Amino acid sequence: MKKNRYGQLSNLEHPQSLNANGGGVLRIALVGNPNSGKTTLFNGLTGSNQYVGNWPGVTVAKKTGRIKISDINAEVTDLPGVYSLSTISLEEEITADYFRAKRMDLVINIVDASNLERNLFLTHQLLDSDLPIIVALNCMDIVGKKNIKIDVVKLERRLGVPVVPITASKHSDLLELIRRIATLDLSPRESRPRYNDDIERLIESFQRLTGDRFLAIRCIEDGPKEITKPGFSLAVQTELLALYESVSRVATKDFDMVLPAERYERILTIVAETMVKSNVDRITPTDRIDRILTHRIIGIPLFIAIMFLVFYLAFGPLGNAITNGFTEVAARLFITLSAGIKSLGMAAWVGSLIDNAVFGGLIAVLGFLPQLAILFLFLSILEDSGYMARAAFIMDRAMHRFGLSGKSFIPMLLGFGCSVPAMASTRTLDQAEDRKITTMIIPFVSCGAKAPIYGVIAGALFAGSAYYVVFSLYFLGIIVALLSAVLFKKTILKGATGNYLMELPEYRMPTMKNTILHTWERVKGFLVKAGTVLLGAFIIIWFLSYFGFVGGEFRLLETAEMEFSLLGSVGKFLLPVFRPLGFTDWRPAVAILTGFVAKESIVGTLGILYGVAGDVLTNGALLYPIIRAAFTPVQAYAFMAFALLAAPCIAALAAMRKELGSWKWFLFAVAYEMTIAYLVALAIYQIGSRGRGGILTAGFFILAVSLVFWTVRRVVRKRGNTCGSCDACSAKTACKSFPDSEK
Amino acid sequence: MTLKDIRPGDQCIVVRLEMNNLRKRIIDMGLTTGTLIKVKKLAPLGDPMEIVVRGYLLTLRKAEARTIEVTRIAPAA
Repeated sequence: MKKNRYGQLSNLEHPQSLNANGGGVLRIALVGNPNSGKTTLFNGLTGSNQYVGNWPGVTVAKKTGRIKISDINAEVTDLPGVYSLSTISLEEEITADYFRAKRMDLVINIVDASNLERNLFLTHQLLDSDLPIIVALNCMDIVGKKNIKIDVVKLERRLGVPVVPITASKHSDLLELIRRIATLDLSPRESRPRYNDDIERLIESFQRLTGDRFLAIRCIEDGPKEITKPGFSLAVQTELLALYESVSRVATKDFDMVLPAERYERILTIVAETMVKSNVDRITPTDRIDRILTHRIIGIPLFIAIMFLVFYLAFGPLGNAITNGFTEVAARLFITLSAGIKSLGMAAWVGSLIDNAVFGGLIAVLGFLPQLAILFLFLSILEDSGYMARAAFIMDRAMHRFGLSGKSFIPMLLGFGCSVPAMASTRTLDQAEDRKITTMIIPFVSCGAKAPIYGVIAGALFAGSAYYVVFSLYFLGIIVALLSAVLFKKTILKGATGNYLMELPEYRMPTMKNTILHTWERVKGFLVKAGTVLLGAFIIIWFLSYFGFVGGEFRLLETAEMEFSLLGSVGKFLLPVFRPLGFTDWRPAVAILTGFVAKESIVGTLGILYGVAGDVLTNGALLYPIIRAAFTPVQAYAFMAFALLAAPCIAALAAMRKELGSWKWFLFAVAYEMTIAYLVALAIYQIGSRGRGGILTAGFFILAVSLVFWTVRRVVRKRGNTCGSCDACSAKTACKSFPDSEK
Repeated sequence: MTLKDIRPGDQCIVVRLEMNNLRKRIIDMGLTTGTLIKVKKLAPLGDPMEIVVRGYLLTLRKAEARTIEVTRIAPAA
């Protein structure tokens, strides 16, 4: 076989020679179904530590890396997993666009051999183009265990492109894959799937307009959605639309099913010819595990138990012990370092900056690290094993009520631990709109760092019923989160579908390597943020907290003088704003402001401002007397509600900015959260401070409003005949799709 | 009869797909006319449902299931 221009053996010794020869970097794209092992293959090829999970849709944006094995000079791009080139989410659109624009020299189509039938659907869509394709038949190890035999030579002949059987984690297989890539013919591929005569005629009529077979097929499959994409001139678009309209009207079958049905028929013949399966209806290990884990009765209790266990390990005694040990070591290290730096004899503010902003800030953030690492570790195991998909399956019904999909449940659940990983995990949602909604409501879920606030304040004021008070706050957070989700969906994010159609992957034993890589990737992300964005923010907050005017002189302040700080002045200045919420003192206002650094610092700040000596974080009882003096129970409850609902700490804000993807949305989310926090705290204080009569009146008012709302809704529904199940029907006409639906 | 009416353990064959949000995706996932579906189970809260189609496990909501017209077939002996 001839060698192509990229597979030069000499390029290690003469890296320049490639360009000199008119060659370049070979652009390879990995395309495959979600959960087919793409990312494992990508890691194997590039040596990069990339995120791999057993949850359909883990790769959410394309990643690129250089091939590190063998002597090939190539750049590999890992594209988001897709089931089909007809996309339903933005992530999938990335892959489809990338492919349509031919931004690669060759495609490695990774196919899960244990799920050949469905995986070959995408393969066939890819084969419709003239791009060089190599099929990497993955999971050969699993196939072997299942007593499935695949005739690779025959498959290769039937598909018309090279097929390389691999186990993505096996180095020798990757070398073989690379060898085949190096010898692949990179000219436009001639062999493409031929369909039946009717379809061929159809393709021909479209191809006359598109000029390209692949684009013609895309137009037939996706109709107006594909035709109106940028690329065709307006005249061609009009002609294509007219053509589509005429052929789809006369089609006997559902027109959009013609091509897929034909493809699946072809696939069935190919599979029948190339694959031998023994013990077809054998009960698989996945079946056995699912009999328990998604059981009708014990499925949910088990899910709750598993999640509880993860939280207990991360935030319970084990996590606490590791955190305390870790913080102590870090603190000692920082004290030594800080003493060393101070001995250099620099100005006093340098010492304060280092102690309070750099080291103090780092300890505040790094204090989370052990707990986050434990949380990430267990979540990776749950994800890699395939359980997370089951969790979404189990919880979908509950989430659907609020217009969300079951996949939104895990991010919200993680929110109880920490908003940062919770927001990162929203990337597993299909729709950008669903992701935005979930990201924006996560801060309302009471995170672990808010617990000390409740602990100290409820402990001081609600001694006997502290548990109920704390529980009610958690509950308040969930209610606000869910209602906000409904509100967003009905107003500004109408595109959110909360659609649910999900594959349940087979259970897999998570490998040590993957689990560690996976955990490390997430921890690294957190560390990088702590070292960059957060450090900057801490320095700003430090400046505001440790500088101020004392007796007309602007100077560096001692910790005890925080009252005079710029932040203190801001707190005092903002007091009138907070007064309707029941804040009668500037000190709680300042404490709330420092909460944006880290929510648990609210407690610490109260301690400093009220002049309590000792570590209030570990011994909250020290604060009890001053809290009893400073707050009435209603004021305290409004204060806690505000701390719970107001925009989250800087780490979470940074995560939110990243996930929302634009400043506009980010600022909206922050403004929304502040407004809600303010309104809820206002309502609590204004109603609560009017005593029993006030609370009863409010309760009656809410009851009356809900009754009116409910009645109006029923009437409107009857008139409009809308069931809300799809957007295919308009509210004016009777729903054709669901004649049996409740009107 | 729609897929929604098929009880766990029973099998059916796709006859027709009505319009819905996910129609094209459902087709591409392999639920074309004539495809054999085995209903595996319902989620603990009664929705979504889990089916076996083309050798893999797919879960979908009843809202979509009732847009998939099917005929029940006798289970294999």
